[in-house]
Amino acid sequence: MAFQMISGSQAAATAVQRVGVDLVAAYPITPQTAIVEALADFSAKGELGGEFVSVESEYAALACCNGAAATGARVFTATASHGLAYMHEMIHWCSGARFPIVMVNVNRTIGAPWCLDPDQGDSLSQRDTGWLQLYCANAQEVFDMVIQAFIIAEELLLPCMVVFDGFYISHTYEAVDVADADQVRKLVGPPAFAPQVIPGQPGNLHGLSTGETHLKLVKDRHQTMLRLPVLFNKINKAFAKQFGRSYNILETQIPSGAKRAIVAAGATAETVRWALPVLADTGLIQLRVFRPFPAAEIRQVIEENELTELLVVDRNCSVGMGGIFAQELRSALYELPKPPQVRSLILAGGVDLTEQMLVDLLQTTGNEENFALRWGDEF
Amino acid sequence: MDRQISEFRLHGRGGQGIVIAASVFAEAVFRDGHYARAFSLFGAERRGAPVTAFIRAGTERLMPRSRIYNPDCVVVFDATISGSTLYAGLKDDGLLLLNAGPGWPETVPQELFENQSYRIYQVDAREIAWKHKLAIGSFPMVNTVMLGAMARVSGLVSIDTLLKSIKQRVSASIDANVKATIDGYENVEEVSGFVTGTI
Repeated sequence: MAFQMISGSQAAATAVQRVGVDLVAAYPITPQTAIVEALADFSAKGELGGEFVSVESEYAALACCNGAAATGARVFTATASHGLAYMHEMIHWCSGARFPIVMVNVNRTIGAPWCLDPDQGDSLSQRDTGWLQLYCANAQEVFDMVIQAFIIAEELLLPCMVVFDGFYISHTYEAVDVADADQVRKLVGPPAFAPQVIPGQPGNLHGLSTGETHLKLVKDRHQTMLRLPVLFNKINKAFAKQFGRSYNILETQIPSGAKRAIVAAGATAETVRWALPVLADTGLIQLRVFRPFPAAEIRQVIEENELTELLVVDRNCSVGMGGIFAQELRSALYELPKPPQVRSLILAGGVDLTEQMLVDLLQTTGNEENFALRWGDEF
Repeated sequence: MDRQISEFRLHGRGGQGIVIAASVFAEAVFRDGHYARAFSLFGAERRGAPVTAFIRAGTERLMPRSRIYNPDCVVVFDATISGSTLYAGLKDDGLLLLNAGPGWPETVPQELFENQSYRIYQVDAREIAWKHKLAIGSFPMVNTVMLGAMARVSGLVSIDTLLKSIKQRVSASIDANVKATIDGYENVEEVSGFVTGTI
């Protein structure tokens, strides 16, 4: 174990190499390209362990992963933005097929017009595809979450997406505690899920089902995904023992007496965490997991701290409704007898969040017309 | 030193290696016992187009993950890039390091020198790069020269640590790059006006 100055992209690729995969199939796209380059580099040096397959498109990348995962292989892919959108049909297919694929998505705005900044709309628009989604706030989290994603996916037999912001994380060089492969493999172990296809034994895979059968399968996926909180805690106990650090479904930092908190997922959570000492009586709820949505955990934090106001940083926008994290939160809070007020700061287009924006925003009082919904260009 | 962060903004052109320079500098800061991050802004990057990179250095691992609007230090790898945005937001007691020298067009706004609180440094990195034959065609590779100068004016990393980081990252012309770094470190000097005719 040693600290290395590496980028978020290198952290993702190195974690994949440390875990050990049978196959990587990926197609480069900004800002994910450096991940593919790093994995190709490992492959060229004979350090990848598995096959590196160059494919002609993102659709082919995930189709290739699906085929390999059907044989019980551990596979990885990475993409961003338009690449993720292009995969969309296959994204549904691999969760329905229960392939425990791990994919990194580096957030980037989807056009038109072309834009490279890290809007989260690419990964959030895959909300209903049946994938787990983990959001990372720095390169260390990227390294650690990619490792944990393989354990989670293979335990639940559900695909898992590890998500982080383009440039602010993917292209930022920072100190990352990089574990050795033998330590990581001690924790993760070899892939142990049953193959659906066995060479030499012909069979039919994922044939036509009735709606009734499909319902049962969807119900099982839903109930299985809801097992994540218990599994996540178990994994992180083992992770802490091995590496001396661990994670929670929600990372909360709420000063005593604070009645409001900022909710953020991804890189913006770290800017908020940094700004907390200058933001009076304000806490942070960092969303690490978006699917399954940690509704019960959030309600518990709100009740325990008697929070009356949540400010949600949404680097995305569902046009016609508003910030996606804010929507999901409002839905989760509906069951509370006294739900807190939910305000939304929309940074669609992946615009920058600064400490000053947070200071200005928190000075806005509840009486102002635009209290509930603010846009990043108003500051 | 609690929560203290030094922020650098680097301006250059695609092909000058400013993104690599930023990451090498951050690596050297980390080697010298502090935390650091380096990152860059990308658009449709290509050789010759303006590029911006950032470095944060501090005592804590936690840092804001936003762009840098009020840098402590602006480093201009090519003073022919025009526009006041290069110097925008520089803190009142900030440092400005310019790659410029005899024969350069005068593009640095004179009012920068009239602001007495800035400390302005100049190094003819282009000339030093030529001297050590660090060029791709007619395009001088100035990044290691500028790194040497950055180490000197910022005082954040020692030249020895910087050279270790450079040797680790640079794969070609290592000797020339080491000499260029040392030359940058030794030849950078504070100026009271933009020197183009003689230095």
